Amino acid sequence: MIAPSYKSASNSTAVAGIRPATVVLFALLLALSGGLARAEEGSAPSSPVEEFSRQLEAFQKSVPDLNKSIQDSAGTIDSVTDVEKARTEIDKLRDTVSALLGAVSDNGPVSQLGVKALDHVHAKLKALSQETRFKPEERQFLLEQWRKLQEQTESATKELDDARAQFASLLQTLQQNEDFIGELIEIRQAEKAIEVIRSLTRDIRDASNQLNKLIGGIKPPGA
Amino acid sequence: MVGRGLGLLASAAIVAAAIAACKPDDDTGYVEIKTVPVAAVTLTALYLDSQKLAPIKKGSAILRQRVGTLKLQADGAPGALAALCTIVVKRNRITTVTVSVLDRPPRCQCRFSGTEPATAKACVS
Repeated sequence: MIAPSYKSASNSTAVAGIRPATVVLFALLLALSGGLARAEEGSAPSSPVEEFSRQLEAFQKSVPDLNKSIQDSAGTIDSVTDVEKARTEIDKLRDTVSALLGAVSDNGPVSQLGVKALDHVHAKLKALSQETRFKPEERQFLLEQWRKLQEQTESATKELDDARAQFASLLQTLQQNEDFIGELIEIRQAEKAIEVIRSLTRDIRDASNQLNKLIGGIKPPGA
Repeated sequence: MVGRGLGLLASAAIVAAAIAACKPDDDTGYVEIKTVPVAAVTLTALYLDSQKLAPIKKGSAILRQRVGTLKLQADGAPGALAALCTIVVKRNRITTVTVSVLDRPPRCQCRFSGTEPATAKACVS
């Protein structure tokens, strides 16, 4: 009874002697194996269920966008095929040109400013030519300065004349070719409609691809 | 240089203000009066209704007018005006009329004439 007890004691002493190293090694192994297991979990492909869920979620998210896209496109096409809208665009254009022409018309405010400026220069030149307060060379200098101003004012007025002719011609073109311009605007609108349809087709194709992926991803066990 | 820049800026501001102030209302259209033969300044006095027009330079003037029908007149017998034609002014449109000032009294030539009975003898846009 003693021997076993001794053996046991001796074993116990031996175990006690190697315990710290073993425990550290064992813990290290455990830690390493746990880390490796976690690493394997991270890089492992997701399961078919997870993949299906992910694709289903992506598809469900895209469906409301597609619906909205269809509704928006329908609204846009409605507006671009509206003939009345083309008419409104011509009217807006005419309003703009008319406002510009109004400013530079012969009885418009800008023209009147030009006339006033020229009148002032002419009056000044006339007054200076009769002026007796200055020496002849001083008067000559002042006259030259005012003549330069006269040239510049006349040049500016000439530009105004050109602008007037241009705006008037533009407004006349608008009113003489109203029907043709209306048709051009309608063509531009139709082109916009094509762009909208193309964009919608792209969206639908994307949704279709997603749906195909979703359906293709369904693999029954053993298939 | 800075002074010149400031001057230009001030001029631009004045012109912009003038343009903003004169934005045509809904009842504005235009009358283009052309005179033949073209002269630096047309001496024949012309009137739109009773308003005397400034002498027409280089044979053309574009005038902003209220929408409606105007009577183009010229000096006729002493103290009286001779009616030349009527002009229909439409919103944001130009009605062009050519006045032959060699004739006595001057004569109107419409670019476009009215087709409806009410405007048959009027210049329209």
